[in-house]
Amino acid sequence: MGHGKYIAPPKAQYQVAAGETLELQYVVLPGESRDIDVSIDLAGPGAEAHLKGLYLCNSDEKVNIRVVMHHKAPGCRSTQLFNGIAGGSSNFHFDGVIVVAPGADGTEAYQENHNIVLTEEAKVETKPQLEIYADDVKCSHGATTGRLGEDELFYMRSRGIPEKEARTLQMLSFLSPVIPEGRREEIEAAVRTL
Amino acid sequence: MLKIQNLHASIGDKEILKGIDLEIKAGEIHAVLGPNGAGKSTLGAVLTGRPDYVVTEGSVMFEGKDLLAMAPEERSWAGIFLSFQYPVEIPGVSYTAFMKAAIAARRKAQGLPEMKAGEFLKLQKEKMAFVGMNPDFAKREVNVGFSGGEKKRAEIFQMAMLEPTLSILDETDSGLDVDALKIVAGGVNALRSPERSAIIITHYQKLLEYVQPDVVHVLKAGRIVATGGREIVDAIESKGFDQF
Repeated sequence: MGHGKYIAPPKAQYQVAAGETLELQYVVLPGESRDIDVSIDLAGPGAEAHLKGLYLCNSDEKVNIRVVMHHKAPGCRSTQLFNGIAGGSSNFHFDGVIVVAPGADGTEAYQENHNIVLTEEAKVETKPQLEIYADDVKCSHGATTGRLGEDELFYMRSRGIPEKEARTLQMLSFLSPVIPEGRREEIEAAVRTL
Repeated sequence: MLKIQNLHASIGDKEILKGIDLEIKAGEIHAVLGPNGAGKSTLGAVLTGRPDYVVTEGSVMFEGKDLLAMAPEERSWAGIFLSFQYPVEIPGVSYTAFMKAAIAARRKAQGLPEMKAGEFLKLQKEKMAFVGMNPDFAKREVNVGFSGGEKKRAEIFQMAMLEPTLSILDETDSGLDVDALKIVAGGVNALRSPERSAIIITHYQKLLEYVQPDVVHVLKAGRIVATGGREIVDAIESKGFDQF
């Protein structure tokens, strides 16, 4: 679909050397089907990688995200946060693996994937995985898939915020940790198409 | 202002309101007292259009309009406000953004021009000071991490911002210390005028020490079993709800 603003290439392999930091940001907008396949080696001591992503689907898109985060050296740190909203009859699949190699002590690795499903037809599958072969490791992963909260919705409507506007606010609040700087208006416009 | 006739309402298969008749005139404050499970909160929920409650019989007219046919946001625009017993947290949305959206939507519905940003902020600051809310709360996410008392205070702040013609306070006094209670009462009393009315739903009688109701009702098992004046509050105080 040729969205020029897309920062990271869809299939990629990265080596992060000692003391360096890699930051990646993914944005998948309505109408785009995407395969994002990224493999990151934290190869030297103290290397860091921080990934953020958001996806928005409103028709029959297929979005797959695969991340392999390989902690190969001691004292490395990685964070991953992917939030997205699946509407229409879209399919979203998240596969995330964190591997902590033997000897990669002092690793910190966090991974989260949160999804909102808007329709009966949309499908979300999320598989966060951890493989840990080192000691003294701080790791966590979490995934949630849910619907927009009805209590929040009614609360906002009872204050006079129309249903559609209330849903937009809810969706933006859900996405806010992963909206790239300077792109809020564009994301808001895309959310309004859901 | 408000006329409720033979109102029956259910949640799931369970009938909670079993024929409520209630008329509130402009300028009146009505207290609805009753034991737990009587249907008090259901009454507030039904009047504001909570989707999980189904009205099975009866009618509610608000200023000559069929209230039950209106969406929750339309009821708000018409001047109805519910102070929630359990105010909802909305992570990621600041109080300022929340109130701005509420006021903008209402003004649009009423055909009024948008409120200027400076004017809005001034109003917000004024109303926060009025309920003794720390001005920093304007930047905080709606109700997230607020204590019970702060949440109730924030409800009264919202009420003061929206200046409803009919305020419904659902157990706003529960869990409040005396200072917070006085602030809530002050908020209700400040809105008191010949055009505005309120329904105070409560399990306790505490709030009624600071707000004088014109009419007092006792709600039990989905029906209003007694209506009168201040003497009912005193009777409950001394002998509880079993006498009704």
